[in-house]
Amino acid sequence: MKKIISFVLGSILAFNLSVSVANAAAKEVKVAFFIEWPTPNQEDKVKGDYEKALGVPVKWTNFANGGAMTDAMLAGDIDISYSQGLVPFINAVKAKAPVKLVDIAMEYGMGGTTCVTSNKSGITKANAKELEGKKVAVPLGTMAEYVFDESMKVVGADRSKMEIVQMDPEEGAAALVAGDVVMACMFGGNSIKAATEVGTRLLTVEEARAAGIMGIDIVSVTDKFMKENPAMVKAFIKVSHEANVRYKAGKSDMDVIAKDAEMKLPDAKETIEGFKFLTPQETKESMEKGNLSKFLKGMGTPNGAVDTSFLPL
Amino acid sequence: MFTRILTFLIFVAIIGCIMYGRKVIRTEKVNAVFGNPERAKGGTHWIIVGSSFILLIWLYYSWDIAKSLYPKSANELCQVGKVNDSLLALKYMFPIEERESKTASIIKIENKNLDKFAIEVKKSNIISDQNRQILLRLIEKTKKTISLLTNESLLDNQTKIKILELASRIDQLSMEFQKNDYPYETEEQKNKRLKEAEEEGEWGASGTAIENTVEIPTIPKTDKGLKFHSAAEELKIISDEFFKLKNHNFQYKSTIQEINDEIKKFENEINNDQEITSTYVKDILQIGGRIDYASIFPPNSLKEFEQSIINFEKVQKNEQGSLRLIDIFLFPAGTIVSSGPNCSEQGSGRWLPKLSDTLNKFVLLLKPSVGYKSVPLLWYEMMDVSKIIGFILPDWIADIIPGKYPVHNENGTVEPNFKSKTLDIVSGEFSLFKIPVPMGHIWDSFLRVFLGLVLGIIFGVPLGLFMGLNRFAKGFFDPLIELYRPVPPLAWAPLIISVLGIDNVGKIFLLFMVSFSIMIISARAGASGTQLSKIHASHSLGASNWQILRYVIFPNSLPEILTGVRVSIGMCWGTLVAAEFLAGTTGIGFVENVAKKYFQYEVIWITIFLMGVLGLIFDVTLRRIIDKTIPWRGKG
Repeated sequence: MKKIISFVLGSILAFNLSVSVANAAAKEVKVAFFIEWPTPNQEDKVKGDYEKALGVPVKWTNFANGGAMTDAMLAGDIDISYSQGLVPFINAVKAKAPVKLVDIAMEYGMGGTTCVTSNKSGITKANAKELEGKKVAVPLGTMAEYVFDESMKVVGADRSKMEIVQMDPEEGAAALVAGDVVMACMFGGNSIKAATEVGTRLLTVEEARAAGIMGIDIVSVTDKFMKENPAMVKAFIKVSHEANVRYKAGKSDMDVIAKDAEMKLPDAKETIEGFKFLTPQETKESMEKGNLSKFLKGMGTPNGAVDTSFLPL
Repeated sequence: MFTRILTFLIFVAIIGCIMYGRKVIRTEKVNAVFGNPERAKGGTHWIIVGSSFILLIWLYYSWDIAKSLYPKSANELCQVGKVNDSLLALKYMFPIEERESKTASIIKIENKNLDKFAIEVKKSNIISDQNRQILLRLIEKTKKTISLLTNESLLDNQTKIKILELASRIDQLSMEFQKNDYPYETEEQKNKRLKEAEEEGEWGASGTAIENTVEIPTIPKTDKGLKFHSAAEELKIISDEFFKLKNHNFQYKSTIQEINDEIKKFENEINNDQEITSTYVKDILQIGGRIDYASIFPPNSLKEFEQSIINFEKVQKNEQGSLRLIDIFLFPAGTIVSSGPNCSEQGSGRWLPKLSDTLNKFVLLLKPSVGYKSVPLLWYEMMDVSKIIGFILPDWIADIIPGKYPVHNENGTVEPNFKSKTLDIVSGEFSLFKIPVPMGHIWDSFLRVFLGLVLGIIFGVPLGLFMGLNRFAKGFFDPLIELYRPVPPLAWAPLIISVLGIDNVGKIFLLFMVSFSIMIISARAGASGTQLSKIHASHSLGASNWQILRYVIFPNSLPEILTGVRVSIGMCWGTLVAAEFLAGTTGIGFVENVAKKYFQYEVIWITIFLMGVLGLIFDVTLRRIIDKTIPWRGKG
């Protein structure tokens, strides 16, 4: 009996004291990113420019959705998430995750994130009311869900009357092709391409822009990493912005980017053309009073999730 | 209140039951020796101790006990967290909570980087010798800047004074902090603060919404909290000032100027095609920039500053007093952390929701009007009996009746005839009377498992018996079954979902595949395990083949079959949740998967418990059935 009690108490004590021992400076930086999501900084990623700028090795891991990025950040497996969707970030902040938004990766229209209805169903913008009572694939808790919600407001269909199936983009596209769902919302160039082969976009890129539907992808860091290595966060953001400048000047090596994004060159080009990369100044404005801040307020995000001090102004 | 009573009851139960158990051990005369299963019989009191223990661990690690005993502790710890947050960056500078000082580790890394870089330049055969020399000189110079920063005699007087000033400000704060009436708040300010704190609410998740809401109030509610809150604000200012301070002495600045000039000159000289060289130059500048940004000071110049911080740490830990004990003992495996303007639970309290919150949310989820994603957990809906009739009767009955379906007439109406009326009946398009049928997430999951299981039994048991008794059947089906049986059921999932769709059909088929193979194996084992003497006996008594199967072999294999059913329920249950993860609109697995996307830990735990309880109910029911229907089990 005594042995059991001492064992139980001992293990409780051991668990309570299991506070992680931190290192003085990070020996390695772990970054999350998306494939099928071509960005100019992938050139720097491949060429090792980030290592040179940060002074330590950089490990890149790709993820299927932004929620998984947050999971990994909370578990301490990821320090920086590049181009995480704003919606998963907001969900994380609402769930008290210790993460901060430090930069905007890009703003984009419906080119990169969209809802596609199958041609077989015959549903278009005009008769979108028919979606009610039918099955719709949506990756919940991602930017695609936001786009879905906003699109439904535009076409005047009631979300609560639809049967929403939780599916990641690749699965959603496959379900649309198989005819299991009449509409699938998704992000990622290859998934959209597969879906548009049997369907059409509910709202065209122009229509979405006119309706003010816009996606924002951000760069988030864990609080711990930010406090410990502010210089690295700064350097990371600087390299990304330099890559954006290079892309705008037309000097990016699209072959490298497309290969790293695991896309075909024309598809990668088409996707990246739908992105709007902001300058540091524009980013700051967006974070303080522009699109980003409006988005955050609109979704009821707690204050203090945004930090502009790392931007290379 | 609820938690407090519950905790008390748990303690009473555990102590009471342990005492009772010991008394039983002392007084009971057990004839059974060690190894006799009789010794494991009975012992309800140990069940109580076991389950109380689980509850206690839950209450403890979810910090529910802390919440019920000291509801204000979270708010106070949040203020302490603010102090830690302000001090964090400063603390990282010194080896206070770390193994080595940050300056030291940065210098180590950058020296290594520069050496590596120098080797790379030396080895490179693309750049010309002349450029190589220039680059190496630049690297050497950049390396020297570090020693310029760490040289004590070069440190500016101005910087020295500023550091001492910051140190004395922290000392001053430590002094003030120990006074009782710090931060000298007026009555008016106090009332305002308390009013705001009142509006902000109490510690705990909201019981009125499934979504997450503010959990920890940040405005200090107590005087102790206010102390920490004000100190945190002051420290933040000091910390910011310190990091603005750069040790850029005259020699360092002039060296940097030299490097920059040289690089400019060099860049003008090299042609555009020498891209490699210019990237090297850029890399040198980057390393220089990192050295510049890091707050590098001579090793002894920050002694006083470091000491002030350590002193303040001591003082603030003293001031925490009983709060520190609460933090250590009632907030196990984590604590309340402040970041920016918000405080949050970090550690086990974050992912292990409090028992009281979980119960609140569960009650909320159970309400049919709330449910999850507008589907109730378990409720009923009124369904017309005609739908059942329409489901049972095949539609082609109407098609084979002679005649044609009615066409619209001149008046713009359609007159129904006998054929169309029959179609209405066989397709369920009429109203009879309504009966309540269950619906909701739990029911859907249950139904899927049940149907998969029943189909598995219907097809698996006869085939298994057949295989146990017939050489052809055994030989024919054996390779097929043995090949697909070891495949983990989920490995089929992607295939089945793309062939049979994301509806119930696919999921039920998946579960059928799981239970089918288990039922075959167990029925076959049961059939081939029948004692030959019994079969011979019935043969001698003149039983027909059917009678032998029905009255000898089948009852003999029933224990095996029912064990198989129990095993397949467990397997089906596990597979179902994973299948609902993949694609679904209802079901417990769906609820959990979606809750995960929104980090709703309470809902996740509720689904886990529901699955456990439902699995238990299944198993207990089956055990009852086994005991009732086959009393001969284990006695043949």
